[in-house]
Amino acid sequence: MAWEVAIGAAIAFAGGAIATGWAQSRIGAAGAATIAERPEAAGSVIVLEAIPETMVILGFVVAAMIVIMVR
Amino acid sequence: MIQKMKSVLVVGPKSDFSQIVDVLYHMGTIHLEEVSEYLQPGSGNVRKILTCSMTDIPVLLATIEGISLLLPAVKDRSNLTAQRYEEISHLSTPEVIARVSHVVGIVGETVRDLSTKKSDLEIAITGLDRYEKIIDKIQPLEQQLPVLHGYEVTVLVIQKEYEDVLEIIRPALSDLTNGQFELISADLDEQTIAVITVFNKHYSENVHRFLFSKNINEVRIPADYSNMPLDKALLLIDKNRRDAGSEKDTIDNDLTRVSQEWGHELAALQKVLTERGEELSAYNNFGETDYTVMVLGWVPKKLIPKTRSALNEAFQGRVVMTETDATTETMDRAPISYDNPRWVRPFEFLMKLASPPQYNEIDPTPLMAIFFPIFFGIIVGDIGYGILILVVGLFIRFRFGAITWLRQISGILIISSFPAIFFGYLFGEFFGNFGQMMGWLEPVTLFGITWDRIEAMIPLLVLTIAIGVFHVVLGLAIGVVNSITRKNRKHTCEKCGMIGVIAGLILVLCLVAGLLPEALYIPAFILLGIAVAFVIYGGGTGGAIEIMGTVGNILSYVRLMAIGMASVILAMVANELGGSMDVLALGVFIAVMLHTLNLMLAMFSPSIHSVRLHVVEFYSKFYHGGGLPYRPFSSGDKPGMIDGKK
Repeated sequence: MAWEVAIGAAIAFAGGAIATGWAQSRIGAAGAATIAERPEAAGSVIVLEAIPETMVILGFVVAAMIVIMVR
Repeated sequence: MIQKMKSVLVVGPKSDFSQIVDVLYHMGTIHLEEVSEYLQPGSGNVRKILTCSMTDIPVLLATIEGISLLLPAVKDRSNLTAQRYEEISHLSTPEVIARVSHVVGIVGETVRDLSTKKSDLEIAITGLDRYEKIIDKIQPLEQQLPVLHGYEVTVLVIQKEYEDVLEIIRPALSDLTNGQFELISADLDEQTIAVITVFNKHYSENVHRFLFSKNINEVRIPADYSNMPLDKALLLIDKNRRDAGSEKDTIDNDLTRVSQEWGHELAALQKVLTERGEELSAYNNFGETDYTVMVLGWVPKKLIPKTRSALNEAFQGRVVMTETDATTETMDRAPISYDNPRWVRPFEFLMKLASPPQYNEIDPTPLMAIFFPIFFGIIVGDIGYGILILVVGLFIRFRFGAITWLRQISGILIISSFPAIFFGYLFGEFFGNFGQMMGWLEPVTLFGITWDRIEAMIPLLVLTIAIGVFHVVLGLAIGVVNSITRKNRKHTCEKCGMIGVIAGLILVLCLVAGLLPEALYIPAFILLGIAVAFVIYGGGTGGAIEIMGTVGNILSYVRLMAIGMASVILAMVANELGGSMDVLALGVFIAVMLHTLNLMLAMFSPSIHSVRLHVVEFYSKFYHGGGLPYRPFSSGDKPGMIDGKK
């Protein structure tokens, strides 16, 4: 595998991962505060926390496609 | 699915009012509505029943609760309580209140007196313990103290962290007493030190004022113990403490006797009084005319015969119940009660993440019960993990089955483990690639594709997007049904248009990929154009933006592949790392640890993502929610019931 391909895949994945991490940190902080005041909202907060993971998953898909398809 | 509800109106003679309320309360089937809110114009002399005075009930309940808190626990006397409850529950509310007042009058004063005495004795014992501790410590210092008449002895207790204050006290006392003082210190315990000061009584006032001004904790030994040698004081303290302890034991026995004699009566009275309080608080919902009373509410269709027969049995036809189906106008008020098959019920737990559906929309719980396990299975996709998840689910069910939410979670795990095992067989996975390493199984070849999750990434990608298309289109189709039920034409157009857009995009993609003849280009674009027009008509500019959102929703299903692949790779790492160890036991240990971690992730992460795909991607296409939960007028499980003590 050419090094450019590996670097490209890594950038694609890292971009999604960093964005997801940042978004989840914000949601997590707000979610923790919400649960402290309204414990019954825990279920909704967990779902909200999972929402930004789309970005890292799509980053992963793009990275995988780069590795598989770019020869 | 949502249980069919019937709107019911119970009408009976005013003389039977409290019995009607009592029968309905104990039946526990009716979800009350306020009659006055739905009185039709021209309903003449029907009026709202004004609430009876309830001031006595909360006060008496608080009194009973207070008494029960003071009474010690006695052995289970639920049978006696049930007997007494049966006897009291037939009394009218004023009779119950009179009985409670009588019992409280007899028991309350006794219990309060005994408890006050007990509390005083406990304080006295605590004080004696403290004096003993101090005297015990200062006793060895007694010989060091000068034996002088006209001198006062004071004990100071100082926190060790403020020990430096001694350096302030010593010169200050010297000044105040003209040097006629002695000061000796010793450790009282790990945190405190005792300081004994002896000074001429002539300076007593000044010394005490100084100590007070410096906020120093001065222990004044009671006069009973201060005018005697310390060893005698210790003996006296010990005697007094034993006397107080003995008196406290007697009071405890008295309280236990009262609890045994009256605990079940108090428990039964509390239960009946709580019920009567709830019944009275519901009076505002009822309506009346000069001679009749009316109760309006909702009863599940299948509980109608039970409710009717209970009323007939209690009133021999004097009370009439009429029922009507929910109409378009009344549907918004109908409460929601699930009536799902057994295999769907565990998934009602996941429905709590959203508000209940409205009465006139499709309940998505059965759909979640179908798709959640499939999504979970695709992500986990491992025979070994599937079996372990099944075992964990069964363990939770048999060990904690009595706890509703744990039973529901165990049901979800048990049901979801079977697709996990099935997809594990398809992907040829048993604890990752361990099954393949051992030559036990291989990925299945189906439709010309070998479903190895590492090798067949592109087919899996296509499969998960196809699942996404199906799931999102299903959601849109349900949205169409819901909007037709609500007679909302614009929503219908928007949902239909969105389905058309998805179909058009798939056609275009197939054409670009060369899977369809080029002649279909024009029909595909015409379809797309019409569909977009429908979407914009139904949803405006927001609808057009929603097209991008829907495409994003479909792509989001790729997580089924991506998270599963992460799990496979972690399992492979566990096998490879374990296998690379020279020491067999260490290799097995590392592999087991990593597989355990992966298993825990496999139970948690796929669940979260499957729920998310439903709540975010699927429900957003049709679900409104905001339904009113069915809350029957009943006692239910009342917390705080007492039998001697809660």
